[in-house]
Order: sequence, then C-alpha cells, then structure tokens
Amino acid sequence: MEPQMKRWKGSEFDTDSWVAYPVLSDEQSQDVELVEAFAAPIVNKKETSRLVRELNGLYPLDGLQHIKRVRACKEKDSPHPLEVLVCLVSDAPDRKAVSIDSLLPSDGVGRDGLGEPFVVKVPARPPLTRPQFELASKQWPTSFHEDKQVTVALRGELFSPPQKAAMHMYMMSAIAAARAGKEMGMEAVGAVVVNPATQTIIAVGHDCRGDHPLHHAVTVCVDLVARSQGGGCYSFDRYPACRFTSPTSDTFQNVPDAEGSSQPYICTGYDLYVTREPCVMCAMALVHSRIGRVFYGTASADGALGTKFKIHSQKDLNHRFEVYKGVLSKQCEGLNKLDNHIL
Amino acid sequence: METQGEIKATSAESFYPRDEDIEKWMANAFDMAKDALENGEVPVGCLMVYNDEVVGRGRNEVNETKNATRHAEMVALDQLLDRCRHSNLDVRSVCERTALYVTVEPCIMCAAALRLLNIPVVVYGCRNERFGGCGSVLDVSSADLPQTGNTFKCVSGHRAQEAVEMLKTFYKQENPNAPKPKTRKD
Ligand SMILES: [Zn+2]
Ligand SMILES: [Zn+2]
Repeated sequence: MEPQMKRWKGSEFDTDSWVAYPVLSDEQSQDVELVEAFAAPIVNKKETSRLVRELNGLYPLDGLQHIKRVRACKEKDSPHPLEVLVCLVSDAPDRKAVSIDSLLPSDGVGRDGLGEPFVVKVPARPPLTRPQFELASKQWPTSFHEDKQVTVALRGELFSPPQKAAMHMYMMSAIAAARAGKEMGMEAVGAVVVNPATQTIIAVGHDCRGDHPLHHAVTVCVDLVARSQGGGCYSFDRYPACRFTSPTSDTFQNVPDAEGSSQPYICTGYDLYVTREPCVMCAMALVHSRIGRVFYGTASADGALGTKFKIHSQKDLNHRFEVYKGVLSKQCEGLNKLDNHIL
Repeated sequence: METQGEIKATSAESFYPRDEDIEKWMANAFDMAKDALENGEVPVGCLMVYNDEVVGRGRNEVNETKNATRHAEMVALDQLLDRCRHSNLDVRSVCERTALYVTVEPCIMCAAALRLLNIPVVVYGCRNERFGGCGSVLDVSSADLPQTGNTFKCVSGHRAQEAVEMLKTFYKQENPNAPKPKTRKD
C-alpha cells in the first residue's frame, strides 16, 4: 500500500495524468449500420441534374436525407466520373434485378446517360459523431451536422486546464472519503456533490453499506444533499468523512435559476464526482434527483452509466444528463484494488 | 401460512406467494394507496410480508424529506431492516423469504434495491410506464447483474386497472399552480 500512496501524492496536482471521456448513448457510440442500394454510373455527365431530379421523384430515399445522391468516382482511371444512387435494394421492383431497365419503369426517369446498376452499401442513419461520420463516409458520401462539443469531448479536450484542476480537486475529495470509509470497514467508494455555479462542495459521502446495505456512496450523498436543504432521513454523524454544507444565501444569489427562485431543489444543476461507476440503484437515484452531470473514475462490472446500462441516456426516462469517465482513473482503480485485497 | 419446518424445507427459489396471500396483501396495499390518494399523496401502497406478517410498510416520502429516492419501497425496506436490527434477525435470511406487495410496478431504482437485498418475489398491480424497472422501461428484475444481488420473480396485473385509475386521479387533482418540479412521484 505504501508505494501506492507515494504515487498518489506525487500526482496530486498532475492533471495531465488523466483524461475525461464522455459516456455517449448507444446511438452515438454504435457501429454504422448499412443498407444495400443500387447505384449506377453516370456515363454522360450532362444528364446529371436531370437524372437526380427524376430519381428523386421516383425513388425519394425517405429517411435517408443524410445520403448524398451522387458521388464522384473513387478510381481515378474510371471511364465515368460520377455515380448516382438509384434506389434501396429493398425498394427495387425485383431485388435480384441487375439491369437498369428493371429498376426504372418505362416512364418517370429517362435512362439516357445511365450505365448498368451495381450494389453499394450506404449508412442507414445520419452520423451523430465524427467517428461515425468518418466510417459512414467511407461507404458513401454522407452529410453530418456536427455537435462540436461531442467531437471535442471525444478527443478528451472538452475541459480547460483550470476546469480540470477543479475536477481533479473534487475527485481527490471523493478519494479521500473513500479511504476514510474503507478505514471504517466499508467498501472504498467515495462521492462528492458540487454546485458548479458557485464552485462549492455541497456534500461528501462514502460507502456505508456495512451498516445499511443500500447506503452506497451515491445514495449517501443524495441524502446529505437533502439534509443541506433541510430534509434528509438518515444521520451519518458517526462517519466524520460524510458531511454536507448548507448553501448560504449569498452563494446562491448570483446563480440564475429558471424558476426565478434561489431555492436549491434536490440535485438540480449539481455535479457528482464518484470514484467508480454507479450501480443501477444509484444511477436511477441520480435520475430521480435530477443530477446535472456525473464524473466517475473507473468503470464497474454492473455499472449503469456505461457498462451494463446507460441510464443517463435511456429512452423513455424524463431526465438525461452527461456522464464523463476517467477522472483520476489510476487513483480510483487503486481504490478498487484495496477492496479486492480484503475480499 | 406454513409452519416453521416447512419454511426451512423450501429453498428461496421455490418461495412463492399463494393466490389467497396475493388477494389478502394486495387488498391491504390498495387500502394504503386509497388512503394516500384521499390525503393528496402519491397513491402507491406497498408492504413487505415475511412469515405471514407485515415487516415493512411504505408510502412515498419524497416531498417531506427532499430526497427523491424516498419511494414507498425504499421506506418499506428501511422498516424491514430496522426490524431485523431490533429483533436481532439475520437480514439476508429474512429478505430471502419476504415478498413485496405494491400497487404499481417498482421503478428502476427500487427494483435494483430489491435485488441488492435478495427479495425473491414482487407482486404488483399496474405497470409503471415512466420509470418501471420490471420490464416497462428496463428489466432490472431479471437482468444479468452478478454484483447486484439476486434476480426476482414478478407477479403482475393484480387489480391493475384500479391502480391506474388512482394514479390518473392523482395526476388530475394535482395543483396546476404548484411549481412544476416540486411534485414528484414514482
Ligand atoms: Zn450503488
Ligand atoms: Zn422507486
């Protein structure tokens, strides 16, 4: 345990030792799904705009607005410079048809300038991230409405050095709480709730499941936040490292609030830092508590914010939030090892 | 119910409430829900039964505690844990023979909490389309989560229409002038 402590101390202010990556929804992180389509060479370039217009009328490619109808030919020595998407294979009158005549009924599209069709694969859905866009574009030219924040976040560059320094400090508090809990016989998991608008720590908690099986670090923090607002239903007084700060009026005055009141409401607008990925119970407790963002150190086997589920981006739930992982990942992994040693 | 000897002979897996138990305890849960509705509270009734005895009973306490996790099931689980502590009973062996009766499908959070405590059976009335953790939004009850306790069986649909009607009535009578996020229910 000694060398670990030394390494930990050595990197105390080294924000370059970790990178926070976003935990994106399944839709944002899945592979690019492809559908088969018939394309055909445009052998007479002058016919291009007419062909596109007439093909759009006959085969409008509904739901595939992200696909460009015409692409430049990949091979430089190709006899024709352009290729056009005729229709999806599933929309073709005869799916095995390989002739342009069978794809284009007598009226509607004049076949002048079109060569014989061949099968291509095109992306079934608009790309949501730059990696998806790059994969999709390899198959067929695709348009992309880029969410710049996601692109920057995927590069691990969303947070500025001062922001990272603050995140570092908050996760250090969570790690300290985890160690304090461990010393009292609990699992080494710690969490901190922060009001990012005022940069104040609202609550610090650690795992207390030795005394109550549902008192995970996150549920402890949720109740400590409730206590900071005059509610709450448990006392964590016997754990010195579990504490809360009641927001004073002056720390709240300059916080703009959509409701027009300065009263804090559960975890609305707050950030949670937790040393390891929350379980299903804790993740859903954060949905109910309307947490602002969650930052965690390392993934966990049954984790519900990325590993087993992505409850923060779950369809049908009425509250979604951003999740980032990797904050002080090495130090947080070290905590897991403490637990495994005991087990 | 059964005698002590029979209880020991049956494993946790085979533990299953009989029809007359369901009838009786769900009637009790519905009475709680009705009572809550009449008092302007979230109409969810919930009780935990061990050895033919109620060991936990809960109603939604979100508003008074300012803790959004105080769903009826969590309150009832706390009562069960308190009782074990006071009576010096082993939590796990009690939980493994405890059934939860609740008028509405437990949410994702409560379903995970029930797993963590190894509750084997949940009997519920209507589905919870917004937050349900027994299949409506996610199926936490049967998901492969080896570090999250045990899976549990669900018996659903008992007096479902009645449970839905109570929820509808509650939503309708909510004060439209109240600040929106302050009224929360599971
Ligand atoms: Zn948890
Ligand atoms: Zn619940």
